[in-house]
Amino acid sequence: MTGLFYNLIEMIIKRRKVYKNLSISIGGLIFFTTLLLFVTILPHVSGFSTKVLYSRIFILAVYGMSYDILRGYTGFINLGHAIFFGSGAYIVGIFLTHFGNNLTVLALAILTVLIYSSLAALIMGKIVFKGGGVIAAAMVTMALGEIVRNVAERWREVTMGADGLPFRVPDMFRDRIMIYYYAFLFLIIMTLALRQFILSPTGRVLLAIRENEQRAIFLGFDTKKYKMIALQVAGLSAGLAGAMFALLNRFANTDLLTVQQTLNALLMTLVGGTGTLYGAIVGSAFISLTQDTLLDLRAVHPIFDRWLLFFGSIYVLVVLFMPSGFVGLYNSKMAKLQVRLVQRKK
Amino acid sequence: MAEILMNTKDLSIHFGAHKAVDGVSINIEKGLFTTVLGPNGAGKTTIFNLISGLYKPTRGKVLFRGEDITKLSPIERINLGLARSFQLTNVFPTLTAYENIRLAVQAHSKIGCKLFMNFNRYIKINDKSKKILEEVLLYDKKDFIVATLSHGEQRKLELGMVLALEPEILLLDEPTAGMAIEEVPTMLDILKNTKEKGTTILLIEHKMDMVKQLSDKLIVIVNGKLLAQGDREEVANNPEVMKAYLGGGMTDGTPS
Ligand SMILES: Nc1ncnc2c1ncn2[C@@H]1O[C@H](COP(=O)(O)OP(=O)(O)O)[C@@H](O)[C@H]1O
Ligand SMILES: [Mg+2]
Repeated sequence: MTGLFYNLIEMIIKRRKVYKNLSISIGGLIFFTTLLLFVTILPHVSGFSTKVLYSRIFILAVYGMSYDILRGYTGFINLGHAIFFGSGAYIVGIFLTHFGNNLTVLALAILTVLIYSSLAALIMGKIVFKGGGVIAAAMVTMALGEIVRNVAERWREVTMGADGLPFRVPDMFRDRIMIYYYAFLFLIIMTLALRQFILSPTGRVLLAIRENEQRAIFLGFDTKKYKMIALQVAGLSAGLAGAMFALLNRFANTDLLTVQQTLNALLMTLVGGTGTLYGAIVGSAFISLTQDTLLDLRAVHPIFDRWLLFFGSIYVLVVLFMPSGFVGLYNSKMAKLQVRLVQRKK
Repeated sequence: MAEILMNTKDLSIHFGAHKAVDGVSINIEKGLFTTVLGPNGAGKTTIFNLISGLYKPTRGKVLFRGEDITKLSPIERINLGLARSFQLTNVFPTLTAYENIRLAVQAHSKIGCKLFMNFNRYIKINDKSKKILEEVLLYDKKDFIVATLSHGEQRKLELGMVLALEPEILLLDEPTAGMAIEEVPTMLDILKNTKEKGTTILLIEHKMDMVKQLSDKLIVIVNGKLLAQGDREEVANNPEVMKAYLGGGMTDGTPS
């Protein structure tokens, strides 16, 4: 009799669980379908600036994720990360300007971006992973970034120096709707690839390094090698993001190589959630949309000429009240919900 | 006398004028349980740091199976079969207990830098991780974030991590330090089981009665120098050791 009773209870609990899981996955399905619909319809019903804004959000999200691989997963503060992004943009611009405006040249440019990023990551890693700690690494990477920015500024025949380099892009990138879709596709592919990376055994070791590098070493992990892999992945992703950014803007300038540009990536991961990967996507959207809204508000009231002040305050508020960022907060809420469900089952 | 698995010759390290470890030559026999005793600050942990490769000695050698390993990196030593725990619990605090163990098993599995498959699809690694969690009595805590576990549980977890490396010799730095009294016996049971499986154990302790029953051999370090080494009873009854012990040199312990 008690056995029967027990079975009944268990059945109810199981039912409940199935239902709960289902309801969550239905919620997720609705969310993603809506998002996909929104993203697909948007470029057809919006103006030029909105299309560019969203294209930029997609591309910068990849740049932000690449930064999260380093800071969020490996615990390495790279203040020269813009080297990859800016150089990626410049390489595309230089190739299309000097070698002809066609897809073959673009393909070669992308290949060059990959090789360049990989080499730059190798050199940066060799210098930084020698030891010396987080602060030393931050200083050294910042110096490396300054060196590259200086080269771009001085090498006027090729980069047009401080004026910046405007260029034409192949026809298939001229249509604003098309580049919007390319940018979106780029984001999807890179998100899946980076997700696979952090879920691989190698990606797990990065977490171990972030948490406690000494313990990782004393488990037998050659942590320098793993950090180098992380830097390679991050560098390649950021380089590609830079290349896409150049195709979108048809322009590259030294701003893309500044520490400020690196801090933009840091900002995205902070707002969205460090070490969450997807946080950078939310961060990118939040920052670009906030910035855009504030700039629009200038037409409403002159006080918004000081938009940067508002932007800074919003940023500080977000970091103060959501230290783990949007996605970090969501994750911990979900974890708590799960704990409550388990407890209720008991 | 059993085969010597590891030994040191004239091992010394000086921090400035301070001779933290000075001319220590010890022999660790294969399959035995050796305990390093000595008061706080005697240099026990520093000896471990020298053996595991965290520090380079000022003078002297570390030998493993008769081969000089003094110049090898910590990772090379781990690959030879030396694993260590730390006096201050050394784990991955924001990961789950399971993931801590799984990482250790992964390290030992030598799968290398795999990129293209999900980490939880390595069945063998998962199974072994679960087995180790059971061994250190933490299976029911496997999904807990380590920082939320008790100190004693974290110590057991760290022990599980080094056991996952299937070492030839296990270096344990005060594994029961800071543990609640009621947690100590389970820890000692785990150590006993490990010993019975044939693993050579070198353990640091500053309270003699804590692990005396388990020990085959004792090594006593005082002020960076080797005071005595040998069979348990012989060393425990050594007049010099008794003197150092009763003279207040050995805190928190009384000879039994
Ligand atoms: N890295 C270091 N630098 C300077 N002194 C050290 C260092 N490591 C250990 N010591 C000194 O060596 C002595 C022995 O320390 P330790 O080996 O930790 O002792 P025990 O583990 O026996 O309690 C202590 O006096 C300590 O201050
Ligand atoms: Mg110690």
